[in-house]
Amino acid sequence: MHELNWGLPVILYLFLGGMGAGAGAVSASIFLRSGGGDLAGSNFRFARWGALLAPVLVILGTGMIVLELGSFQTGHYFRFINLFRTINLSPMSIGSWVLALFILVSLAYAYTFLRPDAAPGDALQTLRKKLAWAMVPLGLAVALYTGVLLGAMPARPFWNSPILAMLFMVSALSTGVAAILLVRALFAHRGIISPDNFERHSYMLSSSDMLLIGLEVVVIFLFLMFGHLTVGNVKTAMSVILGGEMSALFWFGFVLLGLVLPGLIEMKYVLPTLLYQRPFAIPRRMEVAICVLVLVGGFMLRYVVVIAGQMTGPVGI
Amino acid sequence: MSEHTPKASRREFLLKVAGGSAAVATATALPGVVTSADRPKRYAMVIDTRRCVGCQACSVACKTENEVPLGETRSWVEFIEKGNFPNVRRSFLPRLCNQCEKPQCVAVCPTGATYKRSQDGIVVVDADVCIGCKYCVQACPYGMRFINPVTGAADKCDFCLHRVEQGLVPACVNTCQGRARIFGDLNDPASEVSRLLSSNATSVLRPEMGTEPMVYYIDADHTDARDAARQSIYIRIETNRRQKERV
Repeated sequence: MHELNWGLPVILYLFLGGMGAGAGAVSASIFLRSGGGDLAGSNFRFARWGALLAPVLVILGTGMIVLELGSFQTGHYFRFINLFRTINLSPMSIGSWVLALFILVSLAYAYTFLRPDAAPGDALQTLRKKLAWAMVPLGLAVALYTGVLLGAMPARPFWNSPILAMLFMVSALSTGVAAILLVRALFAHRGIISPDNFERHSYMLSSSDMLLIGLEVVVIFLFLMFGHLTVGNVKTAMSVILGGEMSALFWFGFVLLGLVLPGLIEMKYVLPTLLYQRPFAIPRRMEVAICVLVLVGGFMLRYVVVIAGQMTGPVGI
Repeated sequence: MSEHTPKASRREFLLKVAGGSAAVATATALPGVVTSADRPKRYAMVIDTRRCVGCQACSVACKTENEVPLGETRSWVEFIEKGNFPNVRRSFLPRLCNQCEKPQCVAVCPTGATYKRSQDGIVVVDADVCIGCKYCVQACPYGMRFINPVTGAADKCDFCLHRVEQGLVPACVNTCQGRARIFGDLNDPASEVSRLLSSNATSVLRPEMGTEPMVYYIDADHTDARDAARQSIYIRIETNRRQKERV
């Protein structure tokens, strides 16, 4: 099947939405891990980056999918409101509600961090903590539902896999961490928090990203293996990336550039600290390079999955 | 007949039993086989491909009747040309929405704009509710749906609902020169579709998708390029669907 009904706007939404949801969930969990940021070695400044990123990325992505709506393209700009006049068991219906809720909560969560003098224990702290508790499940739900949405259709054998949602969620968390790491590496001032803490946070992010990349490798392996070991529609669909038209993009663009390379670079810097407790030190340039690679990989994954899913369909008639 | 609602009055119940028993009697009611006979009508189409000459009158009638925009198609005919000379065959496969019993397009619709009518089983789209998200276009295993460039909503064959509601047959059936397309109510054991289904070997398209189509084919050629390669015979499949390839 070569009818691309979902194009770049959807791919960008899956990428940006996933990244924003991941950044939001990671920020909130980091924030909550340090007891709401008021314990020693506060992660407050560092949770702030994710909190500010999340709504921007998700709103940008959501704006993209609105552009892809047939109703919007024919001038019925507000017909998408119909999504919120009902709720049913369609993954898109539930997803829209979850997405809308995430946007509202993430905006409120970002607002609690917005003032330059926002600090642990200020007037908004209680609200901030409550919102953070909501941000973790909502972020994971937004990251997951896109995979469920694509996976719900037997007519799309490439997508019709329960592990696709898992893949999207892990990738969302990984790109979310990379997004926080990137803006931090580019814009953060080491002086605001102590250089020690700055490096500690770098280590925390890099090591968790390394873990997520490892997990992503396992999930992508399972995705491919089960597709390859079956017969019929799924196997035919999977052959698009196993030797077919999209193989180069998948293996070089996603697996090599987006997983293996950043994973190896992270290992080089993280393992000495992880295994031998050496002080963690990573050049900013390297940090930026890792993030860019992870983000490129995240985009490539969405691109390959969305296109390959539409190129393939049931075989036979 | 266990699915009557508790709210239904005795009179309605008796009417249902009277209406349904005829259908059940002919359907050789097997235990566990759901006949959804509680739906007042169950419209279906039987396409006898032996009678199809590939004249495309149905494709044209459909475009005219439903004002299908240029470049889009609700119904079309596929030409299947196969074999190695002199053992050859050319057959035709008219295509339209299967009005499935288990429509995937309905299952994924986030707004409820597309639904299966409880009174006759026709799957319809409410163009005023549809937001054009294209989820149903992805979910249909038969490639029947498209976004209407005029309304911006999903569009597809609806068995010419506006005609059927007036007691007429769909435009494609009305125009069919060879009487290859036969339309009727499966709940009526005397209807031509019921009789044809009882007395012929029929098949549906892509049954493995689990959609339970209501469009049945007699003597349809299900050969595709893969089968032809395995059988080492020549095949050419031509379609006048909007995309010039079978999906």
